[in-house]
Amino acid sequence: MNDTILKQVVKIIAPCIQLFGIYVILYGHISPGGGFAGGTIIAASFILQHITFGKAYADSLLNEGRALKLISISLIAYGVLKAYSFFGDYFDLPHTPTGIPGNIFSGGFILPLNILIGIIVTSTIYILYSLFSNE
Amino acid sequence: MTLLNNYYESASIILFGIGLATLMLNRNLIKKIIGMNIMDTSIFLFLVAKGYITGRKAPIITTGFEGIDAYVNPIPSALILTGIVVAVSVTAFLLALTVKIYEAYGTVDLEIILNLKGDAYADNNKLPLG
Amino acid sequence: MQIITSFPLVKIFIILLSAFSMPLIHNRRHIKIISIIFLSFSLTLSLITLNYVFRNGAFYFNAGYPDTFLGIQLYIGPVETLLSSVLEFVILVVVWFSAFSIDEEIRQNRIKFFYILIHLLTASILGIIYTNDIFNGYVFIEVAALASCGIIVIKEKKENIKAATKYIIMSTIGSGLLLMGIAFIYSYTGHLNMDLIHLEILEGYDDYFKSLLIIVALYTAGLGVKSAMFPLHIWLPDAHSSAPTASSALLSGVVLKGFAYFLIKFMDRMLGFEIINQLNILPIILILGSSGMIFGSLSAIFQKNIKRLIAYSSVAQMGYIFLAIGLGSPFGAVIAVYHMMGHAVTKSALFLCSGLMIEKTGKNEISNYRGLGFEMPITFILFTLGALSMVGIPILPGFISKWYLSIESIQLGKFLLIFVILLSSLLNAVYYFPIIINGFFGIENLENRVYKSKRAPYEKLAPIIVLITAMLVLGIFSKDVLDFLITGINAL
Repeated sequence: MNDTILKQVVKIIAPCIQLFGIYVILYGHISPGGGFAGGTIIAASFILQHITFGKAYADSLLNEGRALKLISISLIAYGVLKAYSFFGDYFDLPHTPTGIPGNIFSGGFILPLNILIGIIVTSTIYILYSLFSNE
Repeated sequence: MTLLNNYYESASIILFGIGLATLMLNRNLIKKIIGMNIMDTSIFLFLVAKGYITGRKAPIITTGFEGIDAYVNPIPSALILTGIVVAVSVTAFLLALTVKIYEAYGTVDLEIILNLKGDAYADNNKLPLG
Repeated sequence: MQIITSFPLVKIFIILLSAFSMPLIHNRRHIKIISIIFLSFSLTLSLITLNYVFRNGAFYFNAGYPDTFLGIQLYIGPVETLLSSVLEFVILVVVWFSAFSIDEEIRQNRIKFFYILIHLLTASILGIIYTNDIFNGYVFIEVAALASCGIIVIKEKKENIKAATKYIIMSTIGSGLLLMGIAFIYSYTGHLNMDLIHLEILEGYDDYFKSLLIIVALYTAGLGVKSAMFPLHIWLPDAHSSAPTASSALLSGVVLKGFAYFLIKFMDRMLGFEIINQLNILPIILILGSSGMIFGSLSAIFQKNIKRLIAYSSVAQMGYIFLAIGLGSPFGAVIAVYHMMGHAVTKSALFLCSGLMIEKTGKNEISNYRGLGFEMPITFILFTLGALSMVGIPILPGFISKWYLSIESIQLGKFLLIFVILLSSLLNAVYYFPIIINGFFGIENLENRVYKSKRAPYEKLAPIIVLITAMLVLGIFSKDVLDFLITGINAL
């Protein structure tokens, strides 16, 4: 799409959408939101860039191979963190602290898990879109 | 408690019927996928209606815990979130298969595709897709 | 707390984590080695758990929140450990076979995804078997359905795409009904934990008879679609016959069993057989199971393609399982589980044998297999042993389950079922024996055939030999297996 207005608007809007998505992910454990919702919002910004600037530009940000690697690494990290909270008792490892209302850096593993889910969902939704859009 | 008092539940069962009928009876694959989504959404409506208690608010603590009677049941919402993720992945998989079906057969009408004979094992050694 | 009680969840974890590490590896050989190592490791853990349960009895594992009813609970009893060990063993052997055969069947850049999907499938089947939480079971069922669809469509031919579409649409109908059933039961009891649901239902089920009937109907239909109950089996022959050989063996041998076991779990652990016997749903399952046994075999007789024949035979064998469930007695459920294990081992061996035959002759019509027993003797002998178990020759597991099924139906006064079982066995013989007889005997069949000219390589035969040996072991030690299983059913 070669529309100057569209391109300029997307240039301004896409970072804002991404910032909002990051906010939703980071505040997921103390307010409505979370990794899934924030991830889809960030993926929406990537899809918007894919539509306006074309496949080549969007691929330079996030292509299929890179997304697959991101998903695998995030899933492994997620599994390791969950394994700590499931099996930590058997090795007398310390418990993760419970959260304080309103405090972002509380609640133990929930924040890192939300961030990992955000990465996974962003990559997955974007891959789904780019699979269906063959220009 | 009549049907009209429980109008959320009644509506969700009607929607479930619509979705199931579309999924089973419609020949068009895309419409089948839409039917599947209607069916899943109706179940989410049913669950969320069951989880809501009039006069209470969402179980998100911002200003301090207000006692167990101040919040609605959060478990149905968690179930629905999981259900939505499952529905999204099934929808994506079905859409991908629909694209492949269209590339291979040139139609998304399942009736026509299932009635095709002869191609079953004849060209089994060719890769029709790129 | 002993560390052994966490092994079931550890297994699911390591299988999933090894699956997610595969996209980072480029060498196909390394992926196969990783897959085999981790599956063997989880099988070892399974056997340790089996030993533990044999000595100490069933146990619960609370994931995350110890000593509360919050969080997800796993229940590991005798049936769960034994069934999961057998299914894991089958998966491991099929993966071993696939390491030598999958390169010829699918494209090279798809092999990575094949093993990822198999790991997802293994983890989800283990989850379905162990879980004590119905919603968790639903999520695992969906993962299993998507993964099994994936291993069909991974061979990108027209027929596979069609079969996978048919399968996923039927499976979606099933999961919709199942999810509605879960929503009903949640709004009825307020719990998702099977034990708590059971206690809640016991309190006053007389007042909620119609709700219970609807719930049971939704569950039976939903899981019946997924585990190929008779009129809902139409997706199975296409899906199982078009998939790559290893996938067919897994789908027929393992995946159907997971779904069917979830139904048994629902009836045994959640409702209890006393309640479900009052609900008039078991006669329907009984009738559908018997018709599946007859019509599955009848359809198999007219098949020309060997994989379709074996797939229709699966429909008939799932009929036995539903018949055993439909008897509505705890021992019936035990026979169902025993038949699942026997069928898992036997049917996967049969599919692997048929894969070797198709590979060596290049054709999949049965008419081309005349005299093949002379050309590839070991494969054909293994096929014969598997087929004999299906038909029901003494000592082999197929006979044992049919025998106890007949005894149990006599004890329950349902004499007609004996004729159904006999008729189905005869029909099994009608479609399996011509292949065997034409393969080994007949002067005109054996003309111009060179002995062992199409012999399969030993590395591909070894997995099948292991499976058939396991089948013999399962048949010979059937008494011990059944005694062990009976302690697990109705243990609430």
